[in-house]
Amino acid sequence: MNEWEPKIIAFLCNWCSYSAADLAGVSRLAYPSNIRVIRIPCTGLMSPKFILNAFRHGADGVWVSG
Amino acid sequence: MSEVQEVSGEAGNFEVTVLQSPRYIDTDLCIACGTCTEKCPKRVIDSFNAGLSRRKAAYLAYPQAVPQKYVIDSKNCIYFKKKGRCMACKKFCPADAVNLDEEAKVRKMRVGAMVLATGFAPYDPLSRDTFSYGRHPNVVTSLEFERILSSSGPYQGHMVRASDQKEPKRIAWLQCVGSRDSHHGANPYCSTVCCTYAIKQALIAKEHSTESLDATIFYIDIRTQGKDFEKYYMRARDEEGIRFVKSKIDRVLPVDDTGKLMIRYVDAAGKRIEEEFDMVILSVGLSVRKDTVSLAEKLGIELDQYSFSATSSFAPVETSRPGIYACGAFQGPKDIPYSVMQASAAACAAGTRLVEARGTLVREKPRVSERVIAGEPPRVGVFVCNCGVNIGGIVRVPEVVAYAKTLPCVTYVEENLFTCSQDTQDKMKEVIKEHGLNRIVVAACSPRTHETLFQETLTQAGLNKYLFEMANIRNQCSWVHSNDPDRATEKAKDLVRMAVAKSVRLDPLEEVKLNVIQAGIVIGGGLAGMTVALGLADQGFPVHLVEKEKALAGHGQKLLKTWKGEDVGAFVAEVVQRVEEHPLISVHLQSTVVEAEGFVGNFRSTIRTGDVTEVVEHGTAIIATGAHELKPSDYHFGRHPNIFVSLDLDRTIVTEPERFKDIKTAVFIQCVGSREPQRRYCSKVCCTHSIQSALRLKELNPEMEIYILFRDIRTYGQREDIYREARARGVAFIRYSLDEKPKVDISDNKLRVTVKDQMIQVPIRIDAEIVTLASAIVPPADNKLLSKLYKLAMNEEGYFQEAHAKLRPVDFAVDGVFMAGLAHGPKPVEESIAQAQAAAARAVCLLAARTIYTSAEVAYTNAAYCSGCGVCVEICPFGAASADAETGKAQINPAQCKGCGLCVASCRSGALNLNGFDQDQTFAMIDEALAS
Repeated sequence: MNEWEPKIIAFLCNWCSYSAADLAGVSRLAYPSNIRVIRIPCTGLMSPKFILNAFRHGADGVWVSG
Repeated sequence: MSEVQEVSGEAGNFEVTVLQSPRYIDTDLCIACGTCTEKCPKRVIDSFNAGLSRRKAAYLAYPQAVPQKYVIDSKNCIYFKKKGRCMACKKFCPADAVNLDEEAKVRKMRVGAMVLATGFAPYDPLSRDTFSYGRHPNVVTSLEFERILSSSGPYQGHMVRASDQKEPKRIAWLQCVGSRDSHHGANPYCSTVCCTYAIKQALIAKEHSTESLDATIFYIDIRTQGKDFEKYYMRARDEEGIRFVKSKIDRVLPVDDTGKLMIRYVDAAGKRIEEEFDMVILSVGLSVRKDTVSLAEKLGIELDQYSFSATSSFAPVETSRPGIYACGAFQGPKDIPYSVMQASAAACAAGTRLVEARGTLVREKPRVSERVIAGEPPRVGVFVCNCGVNIGGIVRVPEVVAYAKTLPCVTYVEENLFTCSQDTQDKMKEVIKEHGLNRIVVAACSPRTHETLFQETLTQAGLNKYLFEMANIRNQCSWVHSNDPDRATEKAKDLVRMAVAKSVRLDPLEEVKLNVIQAGIVIGGGLAGMTVALGLADQGFPVHLVEKEKALAGHGQKLLKTWKGEDVGAFVAEVVQRVEEHPLISVHLQSTVVEAEGFVGNFRSTIRTGDVTEVVEHGTAIIATGAHELKPSDYHFGRHPNIFVSLDLDRTIVTEPERFKDIKTAVFIQCVGSREPQRRYCSKVCCTHSIQSALRLKELNPEMEIYILFRDIRTYGQREDIYREARARGVAFIRYSLDEKPKVDISDNKLRVTVKDQMIQVPIRIDAEIVTLASAIVPPADNKLLSKLYKLAMNEEGYFQEAHAKLRPVDFAVDGVFMAGLAHGPKPVEESIAQAQAAAARAVCLLAARTIYTSAEVAYTNAAYCSGCGVCVEICPFGAASADAETGKAQINPAQCKGCGLCVASCRSGALNLNGFDQDQTFAMIDEALAS
């Protein structure tokens, strides 16, 4: 179980959190690679269907940030 | 990196000589990878982080710097200090962007107008020994603390103190450091912004603290006079537990070996107290920069006694030299919203001068006809970037390229050293044509910085620019997973697969061109409304000015003088005359707008004048409906001829001055109806107004005893001068508390005021002959109607709500509609005028464009699925969604839609979708993200 690593899908707002994720890169901050980011124009678009779909396809966690 | 060396000529025809210092990095070649910083061996103090951390001599000024291009600091760089040694940046730069031989350039430019927006310098408390600043690391200025709180600051946003890197448990903010202070080297004026920023810092510090933080603000008066700031103060005090101590600081002294500091102060009751804190923040004020003063001298513009640009209240952004304008903190200490207003106001003033030249430097871009791709199967081209070694040094790019070739619909894959370079762009154009590609995926850096560049290439290749998608394999992959190339490579493959899956589902999108009706409507004919009307008309646009009263002028005509002593009435009369004589302004008196429809650039409003209605078409609308003085219901107002409200007193002083000559005692009561539970805002102008009136009474009768009963005196900015003058002339200021408000009694037709003095905690009785109530400013009730007509947001007090409190202070969230003056919130004459000029500038930007393009990434409806429930209409913050009059089905106006997707997420029938972010595209990305 120690080897287990969750698969995380992140929905990031283009204007804030997605930029912050870019900035983390510019600042060379390191974080685990088990996260896949999907850029959305605004968290206003965030539908519960996206979250359910992610879980249905095997995501262990969903992160919405905006 | 440029400075003005010389200015010659005059308004309309200046020649400006600008010296541009070398950056030593070619901005066209720099790919902002940061290799130069990484390799640079020289560490220097980082002035952006207020000297609290170090940076390299090759550096990016700050993370959000525009342009996002590096600089070499020649004052510290080894190459420049040691005659040609080092050159690590040049050796390692993957883009060959470093040019250490670059020289300063002198540029001459011809301009018709100039705007000075040189900002401020924070007051430096080093010269003051009272606060132990500079001698103890845990005493910092507010700007230093701002950096400490910042996630890009010296401690990555962890709130720690410098002495031991531990989190402070008790923090004190000391207000008015270097402001409201007549000591040598300090500033006698109020810096306007420090009370609110200290509250903000205390609230953020509380959020950042891991255990409960004890935050205390030591102050003289809390000056939260800006819009909605009073509520912020109340929340901080009553809900968040921030302690506010009215006090006078005697000294800040280090406590031995503990890192703590002892503050010795005298509280409001005159008691001497000592308290220990872990950290002390000095709320430093705003001063004019020294280099600004020398620039002003060079330009020959007049400065006031504090070196701020000397301007009239009636032309708040005009310097003494025609054609040169000033805005922001150089014109006086001010906060962000007012700085932004003044910036637009300066643009209006400069634009008015440059009307004839408008558009003369515009060049049209040649248009390439677009290929129709309907019916074609997706043919995806994938370009994978190495970004020098930035991606390729971690991610195994050839492996990603090989993988991309296996993906469905991918017909072409290419590996680039730099996908963004000009030669790759040229190649991309050829490849698109040669291989008939109809979708492009670039796996490189971030769409935030590079999407528009690649989209432009698509456009030039005749491909719709929305048939493009990026995979962020640098900022969000190689740079953050540099310790694990295997997993970074796997992630890059996933990101490419996700981007390809989205790209095959992309459709060409269209930006619709709309004409802008070349006219404006201004609602409200007061000083703000008239200023807006002139701003538009002087720049050549016809204006309908709608005023509900019988005459123009509004409340401005009731004011006597500004705090600087300028005659408001005479100025208003002059403005009325200019408006009435202006050929492009149609004045509609005794009129109201009763119907409105349309959207940005294309409005139709119905103006009713008596029984007659007229429909006018206009591209923009400006709301300047003003506000008025509250008629108080307390303090026996209306029951005694000598109980006035401020404006009545002004009028009576003018009409019956002899009535005041023998008055022995006068009382002013502040905050009547303001800053109370039923009206949780400060009316901003009343402290200054009462002090002005008190000084006027003193002129009529120097022997008069005058008492001003206040809660906080809010003579912000240079207004502090008249507060000081009033005290010098013997006006007595007595502080009262909201819990024990003053009482006015009438017996035998005589007035007696009783107030509990908060300093001596004793009730004081004053037999006053006149009592003036500084009553609140309240918005007109009919704002609600306008709010419905044009779908405009209002705050809880009934003032109109701007699109962004700091950055868009004159815009509504609804495009094409702007606000000015007291409709937005209480403010004095100069701020109303600046806001009106700002609104005019914003409106002219729209009108002068003549045409606008709607965004392509907007919501759209599938009518077959729509049940007509109306949720989207309710939820859309921009008024873009409506129900079709016949079918009741939802429809989205692309001109108003901002593409936020709220309607899409809220639609229960799946009838709405967002162009460029269709739900099936997002589902495909989710599927692919989890497919490996």
